[in-house]
Amino acid sequence: MKRLIPILLILSLLLSLASCGGNYGEVDLKKPVALSEDGIVEKELLDKIKNENAIATFTGTSGGLNYEWTIFGSDLHETKDVNLLVALEKVDGGIKVSFADSESFGFPALLSIHLDEKWTALAATAHRDGTAISSVSITGSKTSILNLPVKDSIGSCTITPDAEKENSGVGANRPNSDGSATDQDKYLTDPVPEGKPLPVEPENQEVNKGKPYTCTFSIECSTILNNLSELDPDKLELVPSNGVILAPIKVTFYEGESVFDVLQRVCKENNIHLESSWTPIYNSAYIEGIHNLYEFDCGALSGWMYRVNGWYPNYGCSRYQLADGEVVEWRYTCDLGEDVGRDGSW
Amino acid sequence: MTDRGELMRDSFTNYHPIVNLLYFTLVIAFSMLLTHPMAQTLALVCAVIYAVSVEGKKSVMFLLKFCLPMVLLTAFINPAFNHEGATILYYFSSGNPLTLESILYGVGAGAMLVTVLLWFSAFSRVMTSDKFIYLFGKVIPALSLVLSMSLRFVPKFKKQTEVVVEAQRCIGRDISTGSLWQRFKTAVVILSIMITWALENAIETADSMKSRGYGLKGRTAFSIYRMDDRDKYVLIWLGFCGLFLTAGVMLSAFGFRYFPSIRYAALDMTTIPFYAVYFGLCITPVVLNFTEERKWKTLYSKM
Repeated sequence: MKRLIPILLILSLLLSLASCGGNYGEVDLKKPVALSEDGIVEKELLDKIKNENAIATFTGTSGGLNYEWTIFGSDLHETKDVNLLVALEKVDGGIKVSFADSESFGFPALLSIHLDEKWTALAATAHRDGTAISSVSITGSKTSILNLPVKDSIGSCTITPDAEKENSGVGANRPNSDGSATDQDKYLTDPVPEGKPLPVEPENQEVNKGKPYTCTFSIECSTILNNLSELDPDKLELVPSNGVILAPIKVTFYEGESVFDVLQRVCKENNIHLESSWTPIYNSAYIEGIHNLYEFDCGALSGWMYRVNGWYPNYGCSRYQLADGEVVEWRYTCDLGEDVGRDGSW
Repeated sequence: MTDRGELMRDSFTNYHPIVNLLYFTLVIAFSMLLTHPMAQTLALVCAVIYAVSVEGKKSVMFLLKFCLPMVLLTAFINPAFNHEGATILYYFSSGNPLTLESILYGVGAGAMLVTVLLWFSAFSRVMTSDKFIYLFGKVIPALSLVLSMSLRFVPKFKKQTEVVVEAQRCIGRDISTGSLWQRFKTAVVILSIMITWALENAIETADSMKSRGYGLKGRTAFSIYRMDDRDKYVLIWLGFCGLFLTAGVMLSAFGFRYFPSIRYAALDMTTIPFYAVYFGLCITPVVLNFTEERKWKTLYSKM
């Protein structure tokens, strides 16, 4: 009897080991799968991705360019065999994408095309027969990556970089830089490039509620989709499958308000989580996390940056006074801004 | 029984020191490792039952006066600095959100702190320095002496301070009277005396241990413990719990995360055995005390 007790204990240990499995409802990230030659992904595999609530990537090559599909299990509803093969062809001023599948997938997916050159445009657009079907975000550090959200995968489309738009700085009493400064200012800001707005100090700003203006605001994190393996596994469930947290919207603001003021209001109104901390040395708020995606969540060089009219200001968002009609983009970077089109080096 | 009122005799202290040490290593490690609220509750409940059954009123006062405020404090402080979490309840004036997850994390951290504190107070009561020296005196003599001296240091220092304060009061250096400056001067004198005493005491202890041949080959310890059958059974049980729970951690049966949204391992047929074993581990000394008590009572009534 006395010898039986330890044996029983060990037996029950082994039994429990055999019967228990891990995972407690997290999103699961699958290793990238290379597409087979016919490009067919079978229904069974898609069902598996759906049931495990996984994020899967499929990679392929065409015309000397690599591409990858990112498919979220949460986006899959009705599944069938799909052909993920894509033919890429460089055409004048863009890339032609031809889908091999004859009918639509039935679910949204993200196609990331790794170019062999750097596109300097702010964004790109996919056209089919002359009409725009989707906007394409440009990421990638040395060479560009085009992230095309695919909803309707029939036929072909052409991706071309967007032309730059001129924006006037109406409704802001901020001076522009004449490019003559050579030293840092007292908040450690390097000289502002010529023609770009100089920083204003938030404590000197008065908001004039009588003068409402509008600007365009958007928040996106498509770089995370290119670096999913770097992301904190707990945060996988937060990443939108097309990388867009807040699609571009027109926002009303008042004269004298900074990018930070408007960001706070926009996030509150759209129920998006935002954490910031005041940083006296830069006299500005620092954005630690938006939508619970924090700095350093996707590698040591990751965090949030903002771009106004295509320029990443070299000072904090509390010091950028907004002007009428400006386009503000908050973008998550995984490479200190290199992968979201910040030019110049710090 | 009679001189201790309704309190239970802590017969767990009479077990072999290796049993005591293994028990506390396991419960302290798992209390810090397992963040699942169910596991935390089990550990906290067991730690409270153990403390109250052995120390009675004293530990109830400690729980109410110190532990409860600490849990409330962490529950308030954490959300003031931590704004992560998917469920936004309110916005602070800084614009940062108050999230449900950060409040719950604060409560969880406070509960864990209290649990570990209770384990450590039980540890210092059960693992007296002679047990410590018995276990490690031969393997790592210098370190175990330093450890046992430093573990004893705070209570000893407190006691000696009382003695010195009383003695100083007799010669007119009372810290409770006089001007602020005078009191400060007296306090500094007492502090100086205490530090001198502590340093001297440490050297004296070390010298006296050395002159008695501490750490030499063939030297026996003051307390001699025998490995009885009951020690062996408890040791096997604790070893089993350790292995079983380690397996549970690896299989994420205790999986729990607060941020960005709360996710946890469900309580079902595959995970409940692990919680049952964890409860069994934590409650072990209480069960041992209880059975001992009953045995004692039956023997007593037969007499």
